[in-house]
Amino acid sequence: MEEFKNSIAEILEVDSVSLSDELESFDAWDSLAVLSIIALFDTTYNVALTAEDINNAKTISGLQELMENHQ
Amino acid sequence: MNLKFQNKKITGILTVLPENEVNFDDEIDNYDFSRAQSMKLKLIMGYGKRRVVKEGTTISDLCIYGLNYLFDNGLLKKEDIDAIILVTQSPDHFVPATSHIIQGKLDLKKDIICLDINQACSGYPVGLNQAFMQLEQEEVNKVVVLNADMMSCKVSAKDRGSRPLTGDAASITIVENDTSGSTIYGTVNADGKGAEALIIPAGGFKMPSTPKTAELVTDKNGNSRALDHLVMKGDDVFNFVQREVPPMVERLLDKAGKTKDDVDYFMFHQPNKFMLKKLADKMGISYDKMPNNIVENFGNSSGVSIPTNITHNLGEKLLKEDFLICLAGFGAGLSWSSLLLNLGSLDFCETIDY
Repeated sequence: MEEFKNSIAEILEVDSVSLSDELESFDAWDSLAVLSIIALFDTTYNVALTAEDINNAKTISGLQELMENHQ
Repeated sequence: MNLKFQNKKITGILTVLPENEVNFDDEIDNYDFSRAQSMKLKLIMGYGKRRVVKEGTTISDLCIYGLNYLFDNGLLKKEDIDAIILVTQSPDHFVPATSHIIQGKLDLKKDIICLDINQACSGYPVGLNQAFMQLEQEEVNKVVVLNADMMSCKVSAKDRGSRPLTGDAASITIVENDTSGSTIYGTVNADGKGAEALIIPAGGFKMPSTPKTAELVTDKNGNSRALDHLVMKGDDVFNFVQREVPPMVERLLDKAGKTKDDVDYFMFHQPNKFMLKKLADKMGISYDKMPNNIVENFGNSSGVSIPTNITHNLGEKLLKEDFLICLAGFGAGLSWSSLLLNLGSLDFCETIDY
């Protein structure tokens, strides 16, 4: 799980993230971040997400659920 | 579908780029980007320089210019052309076919096959497949495959996802019979259920262009487009490419009895730097075997990005040496296609400006 949070933190250009953080609260949250998360899920977890899935996830914890639900 | 061709070869490739160059740095103010976002996009997606036609230029102009260059330099004879296959989604007119316009303007012989093919980013392998098939005819000895597009005209100036990536280009590939016993392997695939992932909604017969279809509408990401413009669902296209292209190439290599290590270069369509790197990662191919520098230098010119990739990155090497090359195109349709062939000892392999 730490690895997942670290990867997301890297995409969002911060040192660390908390599960309750809202995605839209990050300065680096934009369409490129969404694409980077799609790519992360595809290469690391073999899960294909849409931009809508990610936007609906709202928080870091929401992203984590997306990962767990697909495993 | 798996394809196989015997005794066919490519003998020359020419890319024609409009000399008009647009630099992303000069356009940044058109888009609602922060400075940090712009820097990231340049680095990650490959936003940079792109070549676009000036108003009034058409794809037949680019093709005719390139063909005249070959005639004038003794690299191709008019009377030797038995077929012209033009792959494009930006024809001069709906009627007639642009390949006929090119044939007429160049005074080519009338005893000729002219064929337009409506394919986008996977069009280069599709056009070559058709050329290989034409060469099965006794009277067809030399086929000219033209691949040309100018989609910059169909991308909204306020679409920051697609606009900074889109370029225009034309290419000319000569295909002939070969006596060396060579085999070329190929694949073609289609999924029309994904038609809306990359589409220009208006301007055809279903929804003719009107003042209404030219009105800009802003989407939730802040991009403004009209129905006359190209619209791409970036996430759907990314997932489609990651899902379909690696297994397609696996099957192709499997049919040919080759491994990834046997292939010298993977010359793929160039959607953007990011997607190509992810594709290389997924397929376990090093970046130096799969070039990804066309978008940053010239823009994504749909299917023409494959020959542009070849002439720009391999150019003179292909005049003297021979390589086993894997081509792959993927995009609107949805459509995805590939070829595995020996390429080298070409009569010409260069890039010129229009």
